[in-house]
Amino acid sequence: MTEIRTLLAAVLGLLLGVVCLVAPAAVVRVHLAGRRPTGRDGTYGTDDVSDRWRRVVQVVGGGLVAAGCYFGYVALGLG
Amino acid sequence: MAVVGSILFAFYAVAAVVVMGVFGWPLGLVLVASVAFVGVQYKLGKWMALRSVGAEDLPEERAPDLHRRVESLSRDMGIDKPRLMIARMGVPNAFAVGRKGAGTVVVSEELLGALDDDEVEGVLAHELAHIRNRDVVMMVLGQGVASIVAIVAQWAVLLTGDNDIADFFLAIVVGQLTQMLVMVFVFAISRYREYVADDDAAAEVGSGEPLARALEKISRGAEGRESELDAQAAALCIFDDRGGLASLLATHPPVEKRIERLRGR
Repeated sequence: MTEIRTLLAAVLGLLLGVVCLVAPAAVVRVHLAGRRPTGRDGTYGTDDVSDRWRRVVQVVGGGLVAAGCYFGYVALGLG
Repeated sequence: MAVVGSILFAFYAVAAVVVMGVFGWPLGLVLVASVAFVGVQYKLGKWMALRSVGAEDLPEERAPDLHRRVESLSRDMGIDKPRLMIARMGVPNAFAVGRKGAGTVVVSEELLGALDDDEVEGVLAHELAHIRNRDVVMMVLGQGVASIVAIVAQWAVLLTGDNDIADFFLAIVVGQLTQMLVMVFVFAISRYREYVADDDAAAEVGSGEPLARALEKISRGAEGRESELDAQAAALCIFDDRGGLASLLATHPPVEKRIERLRGR
């Protein structure tokens, strides 16, 4: 059971990490929608996100991929 | 949209049932806690939105014409005149916060400088339509439902595990992915509400052309700025050019489509 949950943590962590790396603006929008006005980092009529926020999410994504790999390594008994 | 709304309600209902089952909360307490959670988000969101752009009240004597336009549009749309504020945002922008009867419209100095009077009127009509249609409240409610479902999913993982480091990681990841999944439906409603606000604005000012011109002018200006952006960062965002996942997780429809629709009315 523990191994299955650890494997799930690895797979879902990798999935979320990849999403953060390839679509950082979408991740930012998920968290800011309804909490902050849209277009502040872009222009009226858009929901653009600033480069600074994209980079922050991509760094987090990198961390999630690394953690996912670690848990995968543990779950598969390679450690 | 009724289907999407029903799906959102179903997400919330499942989360509520889990809370009632796991924590033994009565339905009344779940509902009161949910309303309080969304209420705090609404109040905080409004305050933070205005604060984040440094919005200031726009006195009537400083922009009498703008105030007259907002007053006239509000009267025609059957809503109270909202508070009018101005901010220096660095880009042409405008947004509405609050609800019908207690709304605020913020315009950036850059927007007023970039657009002609009739284009500004189109933008104001669009923002007033958001207030009249309660779109701001809808977004806060949607974000509230997504957050509640995500928190419940996180706790469900934590309470069924061994509380080791992998469980904590799994709980965080499941919470994030759940929130993303629910927000796909919230964003679908948001994009639809943008088109409705465009249609309402066009109906109020008598034509879709001023708003279409405003969007066109602003997006043309943005293209110039975007070319100056860090190309390396942009290259990494392979899905952020309005394809695939990004289009599902977008609050606004593509500007080109909005312009096309406004001109095709």
